[in-house]
Amino acid sequence: MAPPAQSQRSPSPSQPSGKGEVSDLKTQLRQLAGSRAPGTDDTKRELFKKVISYMTIGIDVSSVFSEMVMCSATSDIVLKKMCYLYVGNYAKHNPDLALLTINFLQRDCKDEDPMIRGLALRSLCSLGVANLVEYLVGPLGNGLKDGNSYVRTVAAVGVVKLYHLSASTCVDADFPALLKHLMLKDKDAQVVANCLTSLQEIWSLEASTSEEAARERESLLSKPLVYYFLNRMKEFSEWAQCIVLELVSKYVPMDSEEIFDMMNLLEDRLQHANGAVVLATIKVFLHITLSMTDVHQQVYERIKAPLLTLVSSGSPEQSYAVLSHLHLLVMRAPYIFSSDYKHFYCQYNEPFYVKKLKLEMLTAVANESNTYEIVTELCEYVANVDIPMARESIRAVGKIALQQYDVNAIVDRLLQFLEMEKEHVTAETLVLVKDLLRKYPQWSHDCIAVVGNISSKNVQEPKAKAALIWMLGEYAQDMQDSPYILESLVENWDEEDSAEVRLHLLTAVMKCFLRRSPETQKALGAALAAGVADFHQDVHDRALLYYRLLQYDVFVAERIVNPPKQAVSVFADTQSSEMKDRIFDEFNSLSVVYQKPSYMFTDKEHRGPFAFSEELGNLSIGTEPSDAEVSAQRVEANDKDLLLSTSEKEESQGYANNGSAYSAPSYNASTMPGASQGHFDLVSLDQPSTVHPPANFAIDDLLGLGMPATPGPAPSALLLNAKAAIDPSAFQQKWRQLPVSVSQELTIDPRGVATMTNPQALPQHMQGHSINCVASGGQAPNFKFFFVAQKAEEVSAYLVECIINSSSCKVQLKIKADDQTTSQAFSDLFQSALSTFGSG
Amino acid sequence: MPVAASAIYFLNLRGDVLINRLYRDDVGGNMVDAFRVHIMQTKELGTCPVRQIGGCSFFYMRISNVYIVIVVSSNANVACAFKFVVEAVTLFKSYFGGAFDEDAIRNNFVLIYELLDEIMDFGYPQNLSPEILKLYITQEGVRSPFSSKASDKPVPNATLQVTGAVGWRREGLLYKKNEVFLDIVESVNLLMSSKGSVLRCDVSGKILMKCFLSGMPDLKLGLNDKIGLEKESQLKSRPAKSGKTIELDDVTFHQCVNLTRFNSEKTVSFVPPDGEFELMKYRITEGVNLPFRVLPTIKELGRTRMEVNVKVKSVFGAKMFALGVVVKIPVPKQTAKTSFQVTSGRAKYSPSTDCLVWKIRKFPGQTEPTLSAEVELISTMTEKKSWTRPPIQMEFQVPMFTASGLRVRFLKVWEKSGYNTVEWVRYITKAGSYEIRSRLFSETRRYKDNESVLLAAAVDTQTLVHLKFVCKTFMYSVGHI
Repeated sequence: MAPPAQSQRSPSPSQPSGKGEVSDLKTQLRQLAGSRAPGTDDTKRELFKKVISYMTIGIDVSSVFSEMVMCSATSDIVLKKMCYLYVGNYAKHNPDLALLTINFLQRDCKDEDPMIRGLALRSLCSLGVANLVEYLVGPLGNGLKDGNSYVRTVAAVGVVKLYHLSASTCVDADFPALLKHLMLKDKDAQVVANCLTSLQEIWSLEASTSEEAARERESLLSKPLVYYFLNRMKEFSEWAQCIVLELVSKYVPMDSEEIFDMMNLLEDRLQHANGAVVLATIKVFLHITLSMTDVHQQVYERIKAPLLTLVSSGSPEQSYAVLSHLHLLVMRAPYIFSSDYKHFYCQYNEPFYVKKLKLEMLTAVANESNTYEIVTELCEYVANVDIPMARESIRAVGKIALQQYDVNAIVDRLLQFLEMEKEHVTAETLVLVKDLLRKYPQWSHDCIAVVGNISSKNVQEPKAKAALIWMLGEYAQDMQDSPYILESLVENWDEEDSAEVRLHLLTAVMKCFLRRSPETQKALGAALAAGVADFHQDVHDRALLYYRLLQYDVFVAERIVNPPKQAVSVFADTQSSEMKDRIFDEFNSLSVVYQKPSYMFTDKEHRGPFAFSEELGNLSIGTEPSDAEVSAQRVEANDKDLLLSTSEKEESQGYANNGSAYSAPSYNASTMPGASQGHFDLVSLDQPSTVHPPANFAIDDLLGLGMPATPGPAPSALLLNAKAAIDPSAFQQKWRQLPVSVSQELTIDPRGVATMTNPQALPQHMQGHSINCVASGGQAPNFKFFFVAQKAEEVSAYLVECIINSSSCKVQLKIKADDQTTSQAFSDLFQSALSTFGSG
Repeated sequence: MPVAASAIYFLNLRGDVLINRLYRDDVGGNMVDAFRVHIMQTKELGTCPVRQIGGCSFFYMRISNVYIVIVVSSNANVACAFKFVVEAVTLFKSYFGGAFDEDAIRNNFVLIYELLDEIMDFGYPQNLSPEILKLYITQEGVRSPFSSKASDKPVPNATLQVTGAVGWRREGLLYKKNEVFLDIVESVNLLMSSKGSVLRCDVSGKILMKCFLSGMPDLKLGLNDKIGLEKESQLKSRPAKSGKTIELDDVTFHQCVNLTRFNSEKTVSFVPPDGEFELMKYRITEGVNLPFRVLPTIKELGRTRMEVNVKVKSVFGAKMFALGVVVKIPVPKQTAKTSFQVTSGRAKYSPSTDCLVWKIRKFPGQTEPTLSAEVELISTMTEKKSWTRPPIQMEFQVPMFTASGLRVRFLKVWEKSGYNTVEWVRYITKAGSYEIRSRLFSETRRYKDNESVLLAAAVDTQTLVHLKFVCKTFMYSVGHI
């Protein structure tokens, strides 16, 4: 059967094709509209049902709008509801027709039945037609004061719907204040909860433009309000409890006594049947105890059992959500689940996404005491379960090996995997063995013995092949056959599709040649010839580089290609601790599942500028992003190939020395096709090394490392682009990447501080000096500004973080710059601009 | 800012929209197309229940032949969203009376729209309790449709307000016969290694109740759990009675249970909702009584033949019996022919699941029936593609048995009118995921493995049975060296 109609334009033949049926409906409805005969309602109902079902499958039935409205004069609630649904769906696109409905909706809003009042009010608010908002204010106001709680719950949400339609109408009608009143006074807990959600939404959006709203938003977190909610906690529905608990988790208690009171009060929420409530409670516990280390640890103990229950009960999707949270926690406190590792054993029928997270948990909780059991279990998966799972399990074993000190047994297991002779297992294991060898070179003998037995023909995956080739090159002296295996690989050069493998092959042959020249000579010649002729730019360049290196001086080549290596002691963590803290702040949300802070995945347009500046503020609170972290993030960028980084280092070293190669006597590419000629030349290269040309200087220049700082333009000559443009996200990214180049403390004119009651004063002043404010925030006495400036006629930007304490008139400056050399000049310029603030 | 759902969709397996409800305007109307193109029509389907496409996140769940998709545009609370879907489905089921699938949705779509309107407003979950919703949303046909003005009056709103604290129970209920049914239902999960040691074993139990009680009764339930008993003996200042006490790892309760009282007095007291509900859930990992032991031996006789011997031992009381016992023993895909000998029940080969399925309808305690089967395989060229051996799985139900040993000590009902009640208590233990790993003994075993078997036997002192089993296999493999 053809796929059914999804879009309004192309209904498929299998579905009611639209036109004919719709016009039929239209006439039928019209006939019924005026009728008061008994049984009319039943017929109407059938017709309405048809209309709604067409609407659901995507057929445009907006043409019956007026008939529907005419038929809506009925006392049948079900009919009314269907009509409301229909109207809600089409009003937005037919604002003129929507006007027709206002009348009957307004009338229904005054119905004596509270049910109908509520339904009508909800539909009225959901119409979503901006030019009808005037009709909304009256019913909404009445709804908020309605004697029936059902109507009030609807009205409370209605206010925020109105706000989204027309913020000014909502604010002018003073609805937020009414909501606040209701929130504090209403007897019905659901009304209170809906008021809270609406107010949170309104004030968060309003806060960017109105200081009052910002204050109101803060006041939601004030002690009396939080206590008010806590005391009514048990009246709320489970869903409302989640919302209240989320609010409470942001509250910062004054002292330890308060913390204990709150925890005692909320303790029983951990036994709630609704997992969402339990998680929300856990968030509160974790966040309010952050300042008390020992209590925080006790909290981990306390939440363990409920969390494990949540993992094992409920649907796999729910387990997935909970496991993501467990993973976050276990990263912060690995010991908490180390004795409960058996809970993370996979069940055969679980979906892969749950199993994968369980494997991550198993790797995370592994320590000296349980490694043996965990690795045994993982080996079971390698042997017995499907391929993706086997791969993940091998990776998990590898990860455990890399984080443990006693890897003896694990290495044995890994080597056993190689003997299983399953292609995917071998491939995955090879990659891991390579990583292990980089960390524990002492195991090379054991590993090499096994790896040597693997036929390269059985390894097809590029990553695995690259790993095998790396080992062949690296341990050429220990592996008898190494040169010959490499040679056969070179012979099949043309069949190798992966550039990565070809690059590794080049390097490996080179290494092998440097250790066992006579045996490898032939292979090297062939490899270089093939490499130079390769269509892939990187392969070509590397081959050429090696060729010239060898031509230049074999010893230099040795130093570059095969330097003595140090074991890698720590593999760079994939995520900075700062990042993890941010995710932890957003516990019980998507951030945890995606493993990245919310700003990285939520849409920018949904957040006002205020939200952004606040975020930046958080970002640099506590430890300042030091250079180490910056580099960690850089590593993160290519963390996928993290484990290949030794070879990459070689590579980049190679490139770094490229400069000298270029300054060497020019090489005529046309002689190259005669490959054999090439390698004969190579062998005869063993001449006394020529004097190194003093190339260092040139290299530095070439690579623009900027070491010999060219005397930059005099500070006064630094011109800024008056229209520097940089969008907030680019700023954020840059701020994280760049190191601090100037950090200073100074004082400013108290008169300037005095004008700071107007938050726009400083940004306006600085704008006069071509320095633009990106974001600002804070509360007296501490204000924080982020500025950006751009060099005239250049893209090079300066980023400034400026923290002003208005009571002490102290300013802390942090400047980051694309072009470090001129940052001091910019700093002077910035300070002079700041010093005139308030004096002008 | 709290986070709200922007839209909810119900799709069938082909991707046709069954129901769509947009709650907010912040996502486009074509979100369902995005889901279809980027998730349903790719291999991604089922690999992860949370996906981000564009600026929106999709949470989806498959329930029978329906996908339920929630779309959000901000940093939503995932656990809450999934729980909402689960609860919503429970609610729908309680309306349709049973199955939730494509047909049920098509037949009830107006009702679902009505419910979706009530359970969520502007993306915020509202009231999902079936007891309350059923008061004002009824399925046409079940109750008389609202044709007459009289029945149309929503009584509930009045009650809703009056009852206040007890939102889950109506006032003024009256039953001729006051009855309470209490079921303790446990599912026992087991993962046993191929060496016969228990890798993982736990029980997740729930107490289900059905109440047909008049008025506003107050119930009190006493169990033989450790905390409760200790507290009681403390209160009555006399030593706890000897006998088995159960340590519950974690307990969660229905919202009707007075948690403050549970924390202070350790008794479960509550005003029950009318009808059926789940009173509490618990989890136990220590001291689990496994109802069955499974002792498999699977031997490879040459390339194309396998011998499967499975003995299942029931270790509960001789007077009890298990029902609906099914043992599924996986065999390779290329199975050609099977022959069986069973001492009890029936066995057959199920080619669709690649399993030998052994069914025993009634399985008395303290017995040990066996199955021995010969499996012939088609010899294939791709011999290297070895068989990934899934574990042996078991299904069963054992009435009047709890794997945890949990027992109801008392169930008291108080009501101000002081009527008499009849209490019914039942126990049942079911198999959760009951998995036993098997190992393959091939004729070309090496000596090294036998060592490890012996070692395991020495280490594993759990039951004599295991030891016997292991020794037997040991002798077998020695014989073939």
